Amino acid sequence: MTDPTSTATAPAPEAPPDRGTQRRTSEVAVPLGVMAAVVVALVLVYAVGQRATDLVTQSIVTGLLLGGVYALVSVGLTLIFGVLGIVNFAQGAMLTMAMFLVYEMTTSGGLPVYVATLLAVPIMFLFGVVVQAALLNKLTLAGSHEGPLLVTLGLSLLIINVLLMIFGGRPLRVPGSVDGSVEVFGAVASYERLIAFGGALLVAVALLLLLRRTSFGMSIRAVSANAEGASLVGVDVRRIYALTFGIGAACVAVAGGLMAPFLSLTPTVGEQFTILAFVIVVLGGLGSVTGALLGGLVIGLVQTVGALYFPGTGSLILVFAVFVLVLFFRPQGILGAPQ
Amino acid sequence: MKKLSLAVVGVLIVLTAAACGGYEPAEDEVVIGSVHPLTGALAGQGEMMHEGAQLAVDDLNEAGGIESLGGDSLVLRAGDSKGTADAGQIEAQRLVSEGAVALIGTYQSDVTANVSAVAERNRVPLVIDVAVDDVILEQGYEHTFRIQPNASSMGRDGAIALAELSKANGKPVRTVSYLHIEGAFGQSVHDAFEKEAADQGIDVVSEVTYPATNFTDATTQVREALAADPDVVVVTGYYPDSLLIAQAVRSLGGDVDALYGIANGGFDDSAFPADSGPAGADVLSANYHYAATDERAQDIRARFEQKYGRTMETSAMLAYQAVVVIAQGLEESGSKDPEELRDAIADLEIDDPLLEFGGPIAFDEAGENENASVTVMQIRDGKVEQVFPDEFKTADIVYPAGRAAGAKE
Repeated sequence: MTDPTSTATAPAPEAPPDRGTQRRTSEVAVPLGVMAAVVVALVLVYAVGQRATDLVTQSIVTGLLLGGVYALVSVGLTLIFGVLGIVNFAQGAMLTMAMFLVYEMTTSGGLPVYVATLLAVPIMFLFGVVVQAALLNKLTLAGSHEGPLLVTLGLSLLIINVLLMIFGGRPLRVPGSVDGSVEVFGAVASYERLIAFGGALLVAVALLLLLRRTSFGMSIRAVSANAEGASLVGVDVRRIYALTFGIGAACVAVAGGLMAPFLSLTPTVGEQFTILAFVIVVLGGLGSVTGALLGGLVIGLVQTVGALYFPGTGSLILVFAVFVLVLFFRPQGILGAPQ
Repeated sequence: MKKLSLAVVGVLIVLTAAACGGYEPAEDEVVIGSVHPLTGALAGQGEMMHEGAQLAVDDLNEAGGIESLGGDSLVLRAGDSKGTADAGQIEAQRLVSEGAVALIGTYQSDVTANVSAVAERNRVPLVIDVAVDDVILEQGYEHTFRIQPNASSMGRDGAIALAELSKANGKPVRTVSYLHIEGAFGQSVHDAFEKEAADQGIDVVSEVTYPATNFTDATTQVREALAADPDVVVVTGYYPDSLLIAQAVRSLGGDVDALYGIANGGFDDSAFPADSGPAGADVLSANYHYAATDERAQDIRARFEQKYGRTMETSAMLAYQAVVVIAQGLEESGSKDPEELRDAIADLEIDDPLLEFGGPIAFDEAGENENASVTVMQIRDGKVEQVFPDEFKTADIVYPAGRAAGAKE
């Protein structure tokens, strides 16, 4: 378990000053290095990639937008994974659940999809709090790792099959939101995806502010760093756990609502994001919101630009190759604190 | 800890009891096993197909059961493949050991391959409702029959139909870009199309594949396909990916004569026109299709919708048809012996198929339906209509797409 916002970590008072500066430099250097590497790779693709320029531009724009979607799903997971240490296999199912909530509100309730998304946020937050408080707290506090993992796995099966029971498995579609698209440097980007991308940035900023600027955020960071110590100074660890899981679920609600307009809804639609979200969270650094954002964008780019050279599953293989390389050279992730 | 182990033991006992509660068919029953994905990502399809088969069983029983067996009634028993080949195989084996005299299934090629092996081993006939891969019937199996056209014949017929309909509308296709899902399904249809297209004077200028999973944005792939400036974009894939592709073609302003699906799981689905909106307008699809021009098929669809509250897609009609094939076989053989049933099915000729085929259902040596053929559909005014060949037409074709009266140009 590491700090939820590693960039925010002031050098620990007891740490020798030289280590502090060293750590700070690497905190800035590594993400900058990653960005530089990505930019260099993209320039190389343009220069010697032997692919039409407008096609490359399109793939970059698509990749960034897709990365935004991935980041949206991952920021919630990075909190749950980073703070609670829970491998939440239900993240994808919760995403699906949020989408169906939004679907129900737009079709039966007649609400515009983005209003429905706003309403879905508190509902999913409550759901998350209840799940953590009722199902997971006992296991998490006992320090069990496989216990919560199995519970979330069971929860995901439950959610998927209840959705199947209610809605059936035929693909559903959330009725029209903002139709149309805009041209960016000759590449086409649909409004719906741009909005999702903006939403990802907003959520990341909001989370960062919450974690860094509020006392509640400080409690979360304290619990993440040392749950026992935090409880000794009067932090209600159970409550923080429950609320953190709730926030993770609320992030997924935003993701679900923003993604619903351009995906076909089936009870398993969220599952495909689970594995990638884990990859992104580990890539970005456990518990690091900025890392999840950066990781999401990198993975999105690798997948779409990579698809120009390795079509089909090849692009996914490329994603996992990047993942393995990062694990090998920087096991704590792009923005993770050294273990 | 003790509590936990008690709970585990309890669960195990219940599970074992459930597993042992095997089915024993009554004297006057004939059991058909239906293996479809009832849970998992394809559950919607599987459930609908099982319901289609159930409707057939109910209809046949209401009409007096199997006459040559003294009016014995049919019983449909469900097996859940969960969308995986292993589970499908186990379920097929279970159904056979519980007395099924024939199997139908399974919607997926890999599952069907395993189920057909079970059928062969147990010498029980399997009538495939939906599964497209050629390989399934290339094993020399004697107990597997397929009603729908296979992948290569759909690719071939799709190419012929495209050449003919474009010529008939005064704008013969010269070049196509082919977008297809990765894997045996997409690849085999593409390969068959490309081969026949060459003979028809159509050049496949670009082949773009996309992954079956984690495919949530088609813009780059479609742009790649459009970059070759083709007359037509051909797509083979499933529902969600085909929807993404249709939308991407629209948002990229792709100026093609047509978006043309072959064996496409999305374009001729009744939900597609509403889901795709303007992106789906005039989209063409060459596929097997329920007989929209046939009153019996219309009646079945109407009753299905009444009973199950949803539209009956072609896959469910194929499941219905598969049960009818088995029932006819039982009538002919007058026996519940699977071997005799198999021989009867092999010799069958069903003159009034519920699918839009060019002739009666009759199986060749390999078990393929000799007269399985594709029909070309088009989305017209928010509905899937049959437009080609002329004998099965329910509406006039608009080709090139988007050139209907009042549309662009």
